[in-house]
Amino acid sequence: MREGTSADAVEGIIPKFVAEPASAEEVTATLEQAARDRLSVVTRGSGTKLGWGPPLQSIDILLSTARLNKVVAHRHGDLTATIESGATLANVNRELAAHRQWIPLDPYSGDRATIGGIVATNDSGPRRHRYGAPRDLIIGVEFARADGVIARGGGIVVKNVAGYDLPRLMTGSFGCLGVILTATFKLYPLTASSQTLVVDLRDTRQLAALAGSILASHLTPTALEFQTPPLRLLLRFESIDASVQQQSATARQMIDSAGLSARTVTGDDEAELWTRYGAPRAAGAAVKVSAMPTELASTLTLLDRLAAGNYSANGRAGLGVFVLHLDGDAAALEKIVVGLRESLPAGRGSAVVMKGPVDFRKQVDVWGPIGDGLPLMKAVKQRFDPDSLLNRGRGPGGL
Amino acid sequence: MLPYGVNATFLAKLEEIVGHAYILNDPNELLTYESDGLARLHAKPGCVLLPGSAADVQQIVRQCHQHRIPFVARGHGTGLSGGALPHPDGVLIVLSRLNRILEIDIANQRVTVEPGVINLDVTKCVAPQGYYYAPDPSSQLICSIGGNVAENSGGAHCLKYGFTVHHVVGVEAVLPDGEMVHLGGPALDAPGLDVLAALVGSEGTLAVVTKVTLRILRAPERVRTILAAFESTDAAGAAVSEFIAAGIIPAAVEMMDRLTIEAAEAAVHPNFPKAEAVLIVELDGTQSEVDGLFEIVEAICRRTGGTEIHIAKNNDERARIWRGRKAAFAAMGRVSPNYYVQDGVIPRTKLSEVLGRIRALEKRSGLRIGNVFHAGDGNLHPLICYDEQIPGQGDLAEKVGAEILQYCIEAGGSITGEHGVGVDKSAYMAKMFSESDLDTMQKLRCAFDPASLCNPGKVFPTPRLCGEVPGPYRQHPAERAGLAERM
Repeated sequence: MREGTSADAVEGIIPKFVAEPASAEEVTATLEQAARDRLSVVTRGSGTKLGWGPPLQSIDILLSTARLNKVVAHRHGDLTATIESGATLANVNRELAAHRQWIPLDPYSGDRATIGGIVATNDSGPRRHRYGAPRDLIIGVEFARADGVIARGGGIVVKNVAGYDLPRLMTGSFGCLGVILTATFKLYPLTASSQTLVVDLRDTRQLAALAGSILASHLTPTALEFQTPPLRLLLRFESIDASVQQQSATARQMIDSAGLSARTVTGDDEAELWTRYGAPRAAGAAVKVSAMPTELASTLTLLDRLAAGNYSANGRAGLGVFVLHLDGDAAALEKIVVGLRESLPAGRGSAVVMKGPVDFRKQVDVWGPIGDGLPLMKAVKQRFDPDSLLNRGRGPGGL
Repeated sequence: MLPYGVNATFLAKLEEIVGHAYILNDPNELLTYESDGLARLHAKPGCVLLPGSAADVQQIVRQCHQHRIPFVARGHGTGLSGGALPHPDGVLIVLSRLNRILEIDIANQRVTVEPGVINLDVTKCVAPQGYYYAPDPSSQLICSIGGNVAENSGGAHCLKYGFTVHHVVGVEAVLPDGEMVHLGGPALDAPGLDVLAALVGSEGTLAVVTKVTLRILRAPERVRTILAAFESTDAAGAAVSEFIAAGIIPAAVEMMDRLTIEAAEAAVHPNFPKAEAVLIVELDGTQSEVDGLFEIVEAICRRTGGTEIHIAKNNDERARIWRGRKAAFAAMGRVSPNYYVQDGVIPRTKLSEVLGRIRALEKRSGLRIGNVFHAGDGNLHPLICYDEQIPGQGDLAEKVGAEILQYCIEAGGSITGEHGVGVDKSAYMAKMFSESDLDTMQKLRCAFDPASLCNPGKVFPTPRLCGEVPGPYRQHPAERAGLAERM
């Protein structure tokens, strides 16, 4: 543990101490000390999502997982891998590719984001349409509790119902229940062939109609994305070549018969398209919005009104989950978020602020209504971290 | 005499909630509810309640909480680990009357049901529109969705499509203190801790689920099924390894050995070849993908020594193959007076090694052991044959089952892939998990159920109480019986 410097600052807050443990034992030692001295702990992977959630007030210990960065085991015959939390997804997938396998996650900034951060935020990207989110892929977790005790849930086998599902409980918990040490995932084989169709759309009605007909078809795209402005739909097919060709042809027919046209993107152009896809505005705010897929179009129409066209969005047309990028001052941003939430009743949608200017995040309810499950979630936090030392105030619902 | 706590006043209150017809406490009526699918364990509950609505469930749980009476919720009782075994001092809440399909939303691929709805009925209600509900436990004709949620049920097709936890997007549930919560919902990514995922597979120990929103899937364009016979389970296992190495994830890969093939043949005549092992491999997806990959699967089966290879020509043939596989458990009754179904998981690549150990155990114990596996994901179902009439054989079968679990743990696997821990395997939890792992799980349980009333005594080896029980202190039945102490 060393003293924090301005280079360690998170949104201008310099941590008192910085711990860079190289082993589970060192994480335990750090947390034991934190518990003894009542020091608050903020966990950091590569820092891509440290600006998410309500702004921090202070940081006693910034615990970096950077040195916990190994692929512990790649059991390629079992299609599973156990990874230390500080390893970047990009490095991990490069290593897994030796056996033509991967963790099928592609969140934005996947080149830098760590496994621990991705699990802690349940972050995902376009391929969630086919492969699911971290929650759907995680099969085991090892983490250090607030008292430093190391606990494990799940295991290294895909099918396993012994004990409570701690891996999924930790997924999306924003580091407020423990410090993730390793995560074990089920893997997928890399696909042989890929093709993306890009369809320009005139309005959200066309988006609803085309996305709806693709969902109702037998096509199995790995991604079904919309983007605006300009409004367009992107379909990605990945499989054996024959299937990619056939699906692409079928999709083009559907697009033609809707009076639209598709541009086919392959090879380096396709790779480039997806690498840059979903880049957030450098300043501005990002809000994760979820709606019923059939209410996506009306949500976008509402946004046109709320944000007066001054927004961009991209996300999963088939799942109803997208990222909204906004600019403006804190009051204007808050008005949009609040207006959006009014149209999204509990259970049928949500709008969670991911990033944004500190003054905006101070002012707005970052999480929005959690519903009647909040007291239960608070009880879980209380049992796991009774002194609220881990990522204090930053967990879902301000846990 | 009425059990502790469940006295006449309490019963009268419960009767007020559910009505006279739906409260059972006559010993003969209780008989039906003494066991779940694990018949060797039985207990008589204080009373059985058949609530007709979520509001009834909530009131019952409130009463139980107020009077510190333990309760167990139960669906159709098909569980195989004693998870729905009644508490002798408690109330059994049977959810079979909550059996309505509440909402079908095809465009958003959601179905909302009450917990007593039968698994297969979900698929039936959306099949006309070309959709289905993916988790398909072998008991899907009779098991309930509520039970599936409690057990995180899988099925033959979970290799590709996942388990119940991947298909439940929202629940309404009554917490052990009688509060009703709504977790998740039809929309994805409801903000908050994923306590829903923790609730799924908690074996009824965290809450009573009263409504479930499920994700349904578009039925695939093409499904192809191949049945291949092999000279040994090792050869069949080698074929599975090659599928994985070729980058193929079939919808299902099932393996049966000689004894289970014979049993299935005797019971439902699926016309399986006489062989040491058969593999059933099913691919689904788009036509071009399935046809392309199917060629590779067939080639692998031939290359790895598949002898008789049969490709289902139509839905009837496919159904016949699956009938043979799904009947395997029950069919053991044709070849053995009694049998004990084990459920363990190993990393798939350890199949040959662990099967070798099971064979040696078979010789050593003198009990025949049939093997059915979900070979794609390493989930073993050894069927241990014994004869109750022969003194000591029942105990021996249990010991053999325990030893197989030990092999699974040593191979890095799990003591249960889909049947749950229940009462049956709680003693093995400490072999699979460390004291601190179990302690952490207890923290979760205590957050849901600080008074330890919700299906107590299941899953965990040593019942422990949470401390900080709200309300006036009352001795817990488990404490009173000397079975637990306060933490």
